[in-house]
Amino acid sequence: MIITTHHLNRRGLLKAGAGMATLTLLGGRAFAQEGVTLTPVGAMVKGTTKPGPYRIAFANGFSGNSWRAMAIAALQAEAAKTPDIAEFVVVDGQGDINKQVNDIEGLINQQFDAILIIGNSGSAVAPIVKQATDEGIVTAPFNLPIDGEDWSTYVGTDPQKKGATLGKWLSDALGGKGKIVALGGLPGNSYTAAGWAGAQEAMSKDIEVLAFKDAFWEEDRAKVVMADLIAAYPEIDGVWCDGAQNATGAMKALLDAGRPLVPVTGDDYNGLLKLFKAEKANHPKFDIGLMSEPTWQGIFAMRAAVSLLKGEEVPKQQILSPAMITAANYETYLRPNLPDGVFTDNSLTDEELAAIFKA
Amino acid sequence: MQALPLITKCLKSAGAVWIAVAGLYVVSSLISPAMFQVGQVLNILQVASFLGVIALGQTVVILSGGIDLSQAGMVTLTNIVATSLMLGQTENMVFAVAVCLVLALLIGAVNGILVAVIGITPLIATLGSNAILFGVALVYTGGAPRGAAAEAFMVLGTGSLFGVPAPTLIWVLLAAVMVLLLRGTVYGRWLYATGANARAARLMGVPVERVLIAAYALSALLACMGGLLLTAYIGNPSLGIGNQFMLTAVAAVVVGGAALTGGVGGIMATVGGAIFITLLSSFTNIIRVSTGTQFVIQGVIIVLSVLAYRKLSQAR
Repeated sequence: MIITTHHLNRRGLLKAGAGMATLTLLGGRAFAQEGVTLTPVGAMVKGTTKPGPYRIAFANGFSGNSWRAMAIAALQAEAAKTPDIAEFVVVDGQGDINKQVNDIEGLINQQFDAILIIGNSGSAVAPIVKQATDEGIVTAPFNLPIDGEDWSTYVGTDPQKKGATLGKWLSDALGGKGKIVALGGLPGNSYTAAGWAGAQEAMSKDIEVLAFKDAFWEEDRAKVVMADLIAAYPEIDGVWCDGAQNATGAMKALLDAGRPLVPVTGDDYNGLLKLFKAEKANHPKFDIGLMSEPTWQGIFAMRAAVSLLKGEEVPKQQILSPAMITAANYETYLRPNLPDGVFTDNSLTDEELAAIFKA
Repeated sequence: MQALPLITKCLKSAGAVWIAVAGLYVVSSLISPAMFQVGQVLNILQVASFLGVIALGQTVVILSGGIDLSQAGMVTLTNIVATSLMLGQTENMVFAVAVCLVLALLIGAVNGILVAVIGITPLIATLGSNAILFGVALVYTGGAPRGAAAEAFMVLGTGSLFGVPAPTLIWVLLAAVMVLLLRGTVYGRWLYATGANARAARLMGVPVERVLIAAYALSALLACMGGLLLTAYIGNPSLGIGNQFMLTAVAAVVVGGAALTGGVGGIMATVGGAIFITLLSSFTNIIRVSTGTQFVIQGVIIVLSVLAYRKLSQAR
């Protein structure tokens, strides 16, 4: 197995202009950002040239989980490598919609050149983002969309398509018929709503959905909810989740109840990969179909913002097709020595991850 | 016919909430036969243990006339500290548990000092502590928690003895200890006196400040134990793990019949309250009610129970 370091990898590929597929063919660890397809959606937008180097800010809606911590680390690493960026600042909205609006106001007053955003509420931050855009600041929301069109450029996955792909995978894994339960994230969040809507359309008609419950993307809540569902339904053939913390909690609930593990969907959470490796020999039906929610997507928002500041053109929206992780390739993503909370489709080296998780 | 006065006496001291528990169980079993299974009853008791242990601590503080909103932060911090010190190794177990318990005593004592000596309203003081505890957990992990509970430790959360889940046994044990403390010691009498009327208690010679500091220390200690049990159940760290307990612990105590003004209530009633809330949650999960409706039902039940208790106490 060829282990390539992060820096060599990128420069080498850029120089050679070789196909991204070469990396996975070599069997090296998957640095998925190198192999990504970014589909442009909408018209091209052009920025007004500003003299560099640039001051960029990130208005993060909420910092209390490992996905956000990794996203911030990826952005900071990218900013450090980009000579065009003089300053990169992160502001934490603490999960509070009002606070985030105030944060963005503050960033406007401090005259940052570009603001990246993950909004706590797509509708609530839209007006203040519009104000920033009107004042000539490049606004680049990513991961969670913002209502309307008054922002410069957006990068993200398409949760409806992801949900549909996962739903189809689960449906196929069950041979087109069976009984499933579905676990979503925070109650009422639009990411789960779009994903589950996509999944329901994509699944075969003979798949019976026993229940859909919100599990807060927390292992402990998912375990408790699943335990109740296990008591209610003697036969559960599969579990649809958008976040694999839910999947891990659900599988642990099945283990505690002495029931066999079943096909499950989710994202690139390390905890589920570890559980799969440990238990797949004991449970022949256990299978995983995962689509990553890449923590490095902010890097593309940052690059797009810098391009706009240099006066170049970028697409209005760039939609990522994330990596599909299955039993066939999960070992390239698994990080056995890192904590469960690592999102394994990431652009950071093991040393950088160890530093974040102090492992 | 001698049984009836005895039953009534038991109910009065244990709390009318147990009638509600029995009633809810019957109703939910009629609607969903899955509730009848022994496995489901044990599951509910197991899940109720975490809320139950935490609510024991909340009972003490509410009896004293205060409230402890920092239990959620304590649970989260305990979970984070325990897993990061244990790192999955059995030899680190005792050290990790000891550190958490000592931390809890200190934090509880600080809460008590803020309330009793400095005189800050309990609502504000503990709300501030909660934010600080969560902030400490966030700074300590940098947003990226690491660590794991040791396999041997997880027996406390996932194991069972004669079919009864381990967390439930621990909960029953702690509840028994608390009943002894509140009903059988001088401290217990001082606590009820302080809660009923702090000024009168002070004039009677009750060391009010020390009683309050001990009350908040107990509350933090029990929240820590709840956090340790939860860590044993899940095995992993999570920055959101405590959030669900912030107000449900208070709700369990209130539904059990304690007055928020202090001096009225008891441990057995809180145990019933915790079971009731968990039973309700489990039942709404099984009948596939949406999360929003679940919240509405829980809120309505809490309001109704407070009104019912007020009527009952007026009738006395």
